Amino acid sequence: MKTKSGGLRKTLPLLLLAAPGLLYFLINNYLPMAGIFIAFKDVNYAKGIFGSDWVGFDNFKFLFQTSDAWIMTRNTLLYNLAFIVLGTMLSILIAILMSELLKSLWSKLFQSGLVLPNLISMVVLSYIVFAFLNADSGFINNSILKPLGIPEINWYSEAKYWPYLLVFIQLWKTAGYGSIVYIAFISGIDKSIYEAAKIDGAGKLKQIRMITLPLLKPTIIILTLMSIGRIFNSDFGLFYQVPMNAGALYSTTQTIDTYVYRALMQVNDIGMSAAAGLYQSVVGFILVMAANAIVKKVNPENALF
Amino acid sequence: MKTKRLWGSLLSLVLCGSLLAGCGTESSSSSAQEGNGSQKVDKVVFAMPSFNRIPDDISKVTAAINAITVPKIGVEVDFRLYGPADYAQKVNLALQSGEQMDVFTTLGQFTNYASKNQLYPLEELLPQYGKELTQILEKDFGPNLLEATTMDGHIYGVPVNKGMSLPTNIVYNADMLKESGLTADQMTSLDDLPAVFEAVKQKHPDVIPFGPVNVNPSDTNLVLALKGMHKIDFLSDTTGIGVVVGNDGKVQNFYDTDAFKQGTKMMRNWFEQGFLEKDAATTSISFSDTIASGRGFSFLGGYSGMEAAKALSAQTGKNLEMKRLVPYYFDTGAVNLVSWMVSSTTKVPEGSVKFLNMLYTDQQLINTILYGIEGEDYVKVDEHHVKFPDGMDASTVPYTAMLSTGIVGSESLQYQLEGVNWSDVELKLKENKETERSPYFGFIFDPSEVKTQMSAVTNVVNQFLPALVTGVLDPDVTIPQFVKALNDAGASDIIASKQKQLDEWIAQQKK
Repeated sequence: MKTKSGGLRKTLPLLLLAAPGLLYFLINNYLPMAGIFIAFKDVNYAKGIFGSDWVGFDNFKFLFQTSDAWIMTRNTLLYNLAFIVLGTMLSILIAILMSELLKSLWSKLFQSGLVLPNLISMVVLSYIVFAFLNADSGFINNSILKPLGIPEINWYSEAKYWPYLLVFIQLWKTAGYGSIVYIAFISGIDKSIYEAAKIDGAGKLKQIRMITLPLLKPTIIILTLMSIGRIFNSDFGLFYQVPMNAGALYSTTQTIDTYVYRALMQVNDIGMSAAAGLYQSVVGFILVMAANAIVKKVNPENALF
Repeated sequence: MKTKRLWGSLLSLVLCGSLLAGCGTESSSSSAQEGNGSQKVDKVVFAMPSFNRIPDDISKVTAAINAITVPKIGVEVDFRLYGPADYAQKVNLALQSGEQMDVFTTLGQFTNYASKNQLYPLEELLPQYGKELTQILEKDFGPNLLEATTMDGHIYGVPVNKGMSLPTNIVYNADMLKESGLTADQMTSLDDLPAVFEAVKQKHPDVIPFGPVNVNPSDTNLVLALKGMHKIDFLSDTTGIGVVVGNDGKVQNFYDTDAFKQGTKMMRNWFEQGFLEKDAATTSISFSDTIASGRGFSFLGGYSGMEAAKALSAQTGKNLEMKRLVPYYFDTGAVNLVSWMVSSTTKVPEGSVKFLNMLYTDQQLINTILYGIEGEDYVKVDEHHVKFPDGMDASTVPYTAMLSTGIVGSESLQYQLEGVNWSDVELKLKENKETERSPYFGFIFDPSEVKTQMSAVTNVVNQFLPALVTGVLDPDVTIPQFVKALNDAGASDIIASKQKQLDEWIAQQKK
């Protein structure tokens, strides 16, 4: 009895502190889940949502109707894979470099500078990109390609360049922000380990390879697992705004989110949009579980749950 | 230690509290208007899109509207004003969440609302509460206007009553034309334009002779011109899958017709001669900006009447004029493009229709909605004209929705801004009656059985059309790809479904 009340007294502040977050999750993430059934309804406003007819998987058909189904699934998966792999690598690289700089006064400035791109809205970013890539007056065509005598490129109608462009833009925007977690973690590593390594004659590179990276591994795994859960979702701004919604680029810029937006802007059907959302969530869920199971098999301590 | 923990608990309590406070609903302060007097007052929510700045506070205008509607029809109006970008979203949200939303409009989505049963059928209420409304539509447009909003015998909306004939005009910089040694008489059809563009280009090498009227996605109005030239009925949607050319009753794919091939070939020629920008299909700089900066010469626009160039000149600061090149062709979609509708979930259908009736027929109400309060927001000049109070303009007056003139009510009852020729309004009404109507006027396609295919083809059209109507891609190569992609997406199902519904509709008309 005494221990129980004592336990509660001990955890009460923590519970209360967590309450707003839990409440938020409950209201924002769990309550709306009841709406999943809309994905299987042919919503008819006269009959109301509950009275509408059940249509089975009809609402999911539009996702697989065209050859675009393959293109958009491929694009979504490959882009996210590239973002996860390259983004993690770049973030860690930045974090290691920054933590080496940590003593210097400049590091604070660099750190702020690295986070800044993340604060720029995608719409603003799309115009920055436009200033570079515009066919007639863009920086790349006018100030780089022209003086070099290379024929100008009509960027917004050549799909083949966009995989590189989009990956570059995404990394430019997010890598700095992503490195913060790693910087925090690296600064928490016991300095005496490095000193011991130094005495043993390990150089900087060897220290990074043998100490920093192994200690970072659990963090990397957790963050990667969390991004895998969203592998079927894409940043709408990046794939819609940045390519300026150019039709000629659909083959490399179409993702599931942009397809759903473009398809349903006209039809405006909530059953079909619910179906698309459900499809993305289910696949994301399966992927997280699978990835976690694999991690668990290889290295049980590092698994998320 | 103990106090510390107490403080911790308190702090987190405060945090929770502030969170909950944020969630609190604003308790609605509905005035106790009901009950004074024996007459019951219906509360109608009326949402209108405004292309002007949305004022922070429109309560004065709402009060002015209610000063008209409460005594006359016993309706208290809850007036909502939204910008064009979020109008549809706000209305849909209200409809889906069950919030009260009674009278609203749409830009081109009429069929969608109707096919999802979101609209209240008006055919029983209109004869009773909308007599004046029906009369003025007949006077200004001609008979049977409401056919364009009738599905399965139910009238689901009322088209806005304005100059609805939108012939294709070439809008051009008159000074540049003169400097190039040409006159407007040299432009009588689309075929005359390349010579004009060439002359302008010779004289002003920096100027782009022609550009898309809308960007993102780019649209040159080529499709509008082709519709008028070849008398093409789009059968009540805008996708172009399933149209009828002329009066043969055969539903076909617009993008597979000779008309479309010829048109895109012409545009391709213009593009290859350098009359359009290289990135015309994807540019995000609107051509009116290009014209305002003195680097653009002309575009094709669909405008009723003859005076639209005046407003465009004021907007761009250049001396613009326009010349009609292609007549208009009335199909159902052209007429119900902007329609006022009543929500199927409304609790006050009578009040809504009474209000709708006034929205088309009460001069005072229409102009209060458009121009605000006399003396504060506008000053009357004469019977038909108003101006802004001295020292004010559209962006500085407390309230104006003057750019919504094409959205609300009857154009023949609206005040015009000083300087607009009143005879132009009369001309527009005359053309409403004289413009050729498609034999399938009144046919509305119900897309619900092919909505999967509709959503798929919409994507394909977005992908190919902008580059074709700007000539950026070669139609000889691209159109076959385009048509194949459409067929893969299920275009033939849509065409078959449209053909079936059209045949039924024709059979019904003959009865």
